[in-house]
Amino acid sequence: MTEPPTATATADELQRFADGVRLHAVRMVAPHGMGYLGQALSSAEVMAALYLTAYRPEHDRMVCSPGHYVIAHFAAAALTGQLDAALLETYGHEDSDLEAIGTERSPALDLTCGTLGTGLSGAVGLALADRMLGHDGRVFVLTSDGELQEGQTWEAAMFAAHHGLGRLVALVDANDSQVDGPVSSLTTVEPVADKWRAFGWDVHDVDGHDAPAVADALGRAAESPLPSVVVARTSTSHGLDVLPPDADGHFIKLSPELAAAAVEELEARRG
Amino acid sequence: MAEQTALPRGVRPAPYPTVLKPYGNALLELARERDDVVCLSGDLTRQCEVDLFQDELPERFVHAGMAEGNMMSMAGAMARRGFKPFVHTFGVFATRRPFDQVVNSIAYPRLPVRIVGFMPGLSSPGGPSHQAIEDVAIMRAIPGMTVVDVADAVETRQAVREIVDVPGPVYLRLKRGEIPVVFDDTHRLELGQAQVLQQGGDVALVGSGMMLTSVLQAAEVLAGAGVRATIVNVPTIKPLDEETIAAVVDTVSGVVTAENHTVVGGLGSAVAEVIAEWGYACPLRRVGIADTFGEGAKSGPHLFRKYGLTTQAVVTAAWDALGAGGPPPQAPDLPVAAGEYAPV
Repeated sequence: MTEPPTATATADELQRFADGVRLHAVRMVAPHGMGYLGQALSSAEVMAALYLTAYRPEHDRMVCSPGHYVIAHFAAAALTGQLDAALLETYGHEDSDLEAIGTERSPALDLTCGTLGTGLSGAVGLALADRMLGHDGRVFVLTSDGELQEGQTWEAAMFAAHHGLGRLVALVDANDSQVDGPVSSLTTVEPVADKWRAFGWDVHDVDGHDAPAVADALGRAAESPLPSVVVARTSTSHGLDVLPPDADGHFIKLSPELAAAAVEELEARRG
Repeated sequence: MAEQTALPRGVRPAPYPTVLKPYGNALLELARERDDVVCLSGDLTRQCEVDLFQDELPERFVHAGMAEGNMMSMAGAMARRGFKPFVHTFGVFATRRPFDQVVNSIAYPRLPVRIVGFMPGLSSPGGPSHQAIEDVAIMRAIPGMTVVDVADAVETRQAVREIVDVPGPVYLRLKRGEIPVVFDDTHRLELGQAQVLQQGGDVALVGSGMMLTSVLQAAEVLAGAGVRATIVNVPTIKPLDEETIAAVVDTVSGVVTAENHTVVGGLGSAVAEVIAEWGYACPLRRVGIADTFGEGAKSGPHLFRKYGLTTQAVVTAAWDALGAGGPPPQAPDLPVAAGEYAPV
């Protein structure tokens, strides 16, 4: 299998991009006082590796399965110029296309789903269609560890492996967070990597806040004839020291004072 | 006014000859002409007549396995890339199980996926798990969904070409197995149109799908008792041809709907909405499954009798709607040879 060369990025460039995702996300959530900031904090390095080293918008497909993660995609798309950064101010406001939970109106994505567990199937359908059409692009799909509880994920995983959809890459943001609390306290989804392996996937289990490691996994995934998954081990509070230790990772409260401190921290780090 | 002795327009005399795989052949013929037609099957390939497609066009055939949620979401994504996916399984597994996927992966994005559900209502003796008794109701409730319930092999063949270019999603409800040929070659199914097959004037008999043959028989029985029935065939339940139905309601003293489906939310409900919203004060009787689940049995016709999906039920309902008084006329049993079909 031949792949067009993908871009490279230095560790510093990746980190600056990841903190840029965090900064945009803080500014998008701040006017609402609370929101899906934790998802952006946990997936920031995954987004950096994906958007800087793997994803080619003109050639590939991008699927955001858990629709509340669109905040991270919007931020990443603004950083790459796919999306007008000025639009981020409208996130979650009345009549905005940038709804807090992704919909058909969401820009800069090929597919997103508010109802969890359906995005991997969508990505599989896109990959299957690409194969029928003779198109050699890759299909990237962001999913999460909590979402793995939805059985449809595994229907899609089984199908993708059986049909050898080697251009399909799933990224699991394994942040151990769901609405009612830590995933591990509610339903054991581990061993996540072994599950994907058992389903016939090429598996890369990495520290999801080590952006070069994620980028490396995405590069190796491109060489596999199997569908690939990058299991990114992450935290919903990573990269924002001003957050209180008891912040609810699924839906973080962000007072004006906390938002200001967060912006200050992230701007200082980005330089 | 037409002579009551003549057959309704475009209709053959009962009992009807039957054919096998009219849908599977029609889809294959269409797919030979159209590269954008792809076929998905949920492990019911022969039962849904698409073994014909699989054999001839395997590169456009997708065996999705027993995973209907995944199948629906995949089909939606394939439609985004320009394909016209035809998705096949039994009606229950096309609607109840993957409802969320049909809504979010197909209907909300208004994607041209054609969901084909076999074994409608109580035509299956397989029991409640296999009997799609509320599929029309739940699909009708989805914004933008076209819902089609055809009556015979002629309509089945025509429906395939009628639905392929509908911009949004379509649910096509099909009988499995031996398919009666009720109409002659002059019959034309036009999506979104109800057809008045016979003008009567006393009572309107409005039927869809497998109950159309009961309606045709009931009209004959009523004619024998001096009641002139207007017969309306409604293959497209959504969008409903309100104008045709309202125009008929305007001319009769009672309306009977007949559907192989629960009376909640299907054809009967749709017609009731027209009667009410157009401001008619016309007695309505709904023949269908009376808000109950079916059961397993040896044969479908037994269940049609047991649950009131019969010619007699339509006759009795018409008699009642008209307030005719006295016992309703009795529908004779129609003798049926092997390979023939007649309503019970």
